[in-house]
Amino acid sequence: MNPPFDAMLIEITARTLAVCLSALAISLAVGLPIGIALGSRRFKGRVAAVSLINTGMGAPPIVVGLIVYLALQRSGPFGGLSWLYSLEAMVLAQVLIALPLVVGITLAAVGSLDDDWELQVRTLGVPKRWRLWLLVREIRLGLLAAVITALGGILSEVGAVMAVGGNLEGETRVLTTAILMHTQMGQLEEALGLATILVGLMLILAGLLTAVQQSGRT
Amino acid sequence: MSNPTLLSARDLRVELRSRRGSFQLTADALDLRGREALVILGANGSGKSTLMRTLAGLEHPDGGTVVSVATGPVTMVFQRPAPFAGSVAHNVRVSFLGSKRSSVDRRVRVEEALERFKIDHLAEHRAATLSGGELRRLALARAFALHPAVLLLDEPFAGLDADGQAALSLDLRRAISDTGVAVAMVTHDMRRAMLLADRIAVLIDGKLAQIGLRDDVLERPATPEIAQVVGMTNLARGVVSADLRGDLALVEVGPEHRVATQAECPPGTRVWIGIRPEHLKVDVGRGTVDPIGKGVVRGVVNDGVTVTVRVDWAGTELRTFLMAGRGLARSLEVGAEVSLSASPEHVHLIPDRSV
Repeated sequence: MNPPFDAMLIEITARTLAVCLSALAISLAVGLPIGIALGSRRFKGRVAAVSLINTGMGAPPIVVGLIVYLALQRSGPFGGLSWLYSLEAMVLAQVLIALPLVVGITLAAVGSLDDDWELQVRTLGVPKRWRLWLLVREIRLGLLAAVITALGGILSEVGAVMAVGGNLEGETRVLTTAILMHTQMGQLEEALGLATILVGLMLILAGLLTAVQQSGRT
Repeated sequence: MSNPTLLSARDLRVELRSRRGSFQLTADALDLRGREALVILGANGSGKSTLMRTLAGLEHPDGGTVVSVATGPVTMVFQRPAPFAGSVAHNVRVSFLGSKRSSVDRRVRVEEALERFKIDHLAEHRAATLSGGELRRLALARAFALHPAVLLLDEPFAGLDADGQAALSLDLRRAISDTGVAVAMVTHDMRRAMLLADRIAVLIDGKLAQIGLRDDVLERPATPEIAQVVGMTNLARGVVSADLRGDLALVEVGPEHRVATQAECPPGTRVWIGIRPEHLKVDVGRGTVDPIGKGVVRGVVNDGVTVTVRVDWAGTELRTFLMAGRGLARSLEVGAEVSLSASPEHVHLIPDRSV
C-alpha cells in the first residue's frame, strides 16, 4: 500500500534537502580551497585549469549525469562501489554540477581584489593562516553568491539525479524527479504541490543566504 | 652622532623578466637610518617600486643582500592602499592579527595611530567609503600601529590635491620625528621631496646613480641625467676658461655668455653647468650682479601663484620662477630681452664625459 501523500511529501522533501545539502557541503569543502588557490596563485597550467572550470560551469547537468552513470554502472570503472541508483550517486552527480560553480565564482571573487592585496597584508606581518582568514572575510559576499548559485543549480536539477538515482520510490525519489514523474502521469495537482514546495524551499534558503549577505554589507 | 642604520642593502641586483622584456635593478650601497627619511627619485620605469619591494622582502634579490638590524618590523604602504572589508578601526586592528599583544595594548595602539593621522573620528566608518586622502591616512595609520622600525612608502601622495598633500606630508614628517622610524619614500613630487627628505637617492635606468644628503644631491648632482631628475633643469655645455673673475673660475658657454662659479676645475675642461631654476635671476636692466649674459623670453606661464619664465640663452632654454603678480612678473612678455644672473655658489659643474 502506498503511504499517504502528506507523508510522502515530507519524506521526499527531507531526502531532497539531505542530498542537496550534502552535495553543497562537499562542493564547498573542495571548491573553496581550489577557487582561492586558482584566484591567488600564478602557476603553469593555471589558464588550462580556469578554462576547464569555466567549461564545467556551463556543462549540461544531464551530460554530467550520463558521465556519472557510465562511471558507476556495473561494467564502469567505479562499478564495484554499487552506487548506481543510490543517494551516494545522486550526491556525486550534484557535487560535479556544483563544484565548477563554487570554484569559478570563488576565483572570480579572489581575482576582483587588488593585484597586490596579498602583498599589502604580508607587509603588515599577518601570519599565513590569518591571511587566509582575512581573504575569506574579504570575499565573503562572493562566497555567498557561490553558495546561492550552487544551491540553486542542484536543488532545481532533474536530469542528472534521474539518470543516476532512478527515481526509486522510498529510496532515491526527490522533489524534482517526483514532479517530472507526476507530470508525465498526468497527475498535475500532485506535480503542482511538489513544485510549490520546491520553489518554497528555494525561496527560504535563498532568503536566508541573502539576509546573511546583506548583513555583511553594513 | 649620525642616526643608527636599521636596514642595509649591499651590491643589490634584481632581475625581472616579463613578456615585455627584462629589467635589472642594481644598487651598490643603500642604508636606511632611524629618524631619517630617504626619498627615492627617478623617472617612470627606473626601478623605484622594485627597489621598495626588494627592501620590504617582497622581491628576492638575484645578488647582494638586504639586512635588517632593526628590532621592530619592516613594513610598506603601497601606491594604491587596499581597504579591508569592515570599519576603519578594524583595518588598523588587522595589523595585529596573530600577534600576542594584549587587547589593551592593541586598543591603545589603534587609537594612537588613528589620532596620529587624524582619522579617529572615522573609526567606525566603513573603510570602503573613505576618500582617497582618508584612505592614505588609514594605510599610514595601519603601518604606524605596528610601531615599525622601517617604513617604506610608495608614492604616498599620489592622487591627492595640493592641500591634501601638504597636510599629509606635515603629519608624516611629525610621525617620523616622534617615532624614530627609518623611512624610504618614492615620490615624483619634488616639493614633497624637499619637505620630507633628509637624504635623496636617484635611480637612473635601474641603477642607483647617486645617494646623499638632500642638499648635496639637489645642489651637486653627479651627472646631467641626475640633475634633470632632481630638478636642476637648467643645463648647458661649456669650457672652463683660463680667465678668472676675482677668485672665481669662469665657464664659457658662448662668446658673450660666461658664467662664474665657486667650483674648481682646470682650464680647458669641458663641463656641463647646472643652475636650479630657483637660483636663476632675470632682470630687464643691465645692472645685474653675477651676470651670465643676455637672453630672450620664449614663454611666460602664470598659474596664479608662480610665473614660469622660459628664456633662450646661448641657444639653450633656461627656466626660472617669479612670484605671480609682483614686480617683473606683471610686465614680462614673450620676445623681451632680459639679463640673467646666478650667484657663483649656485652654479654647479658636472664633468662632460661625452667628449
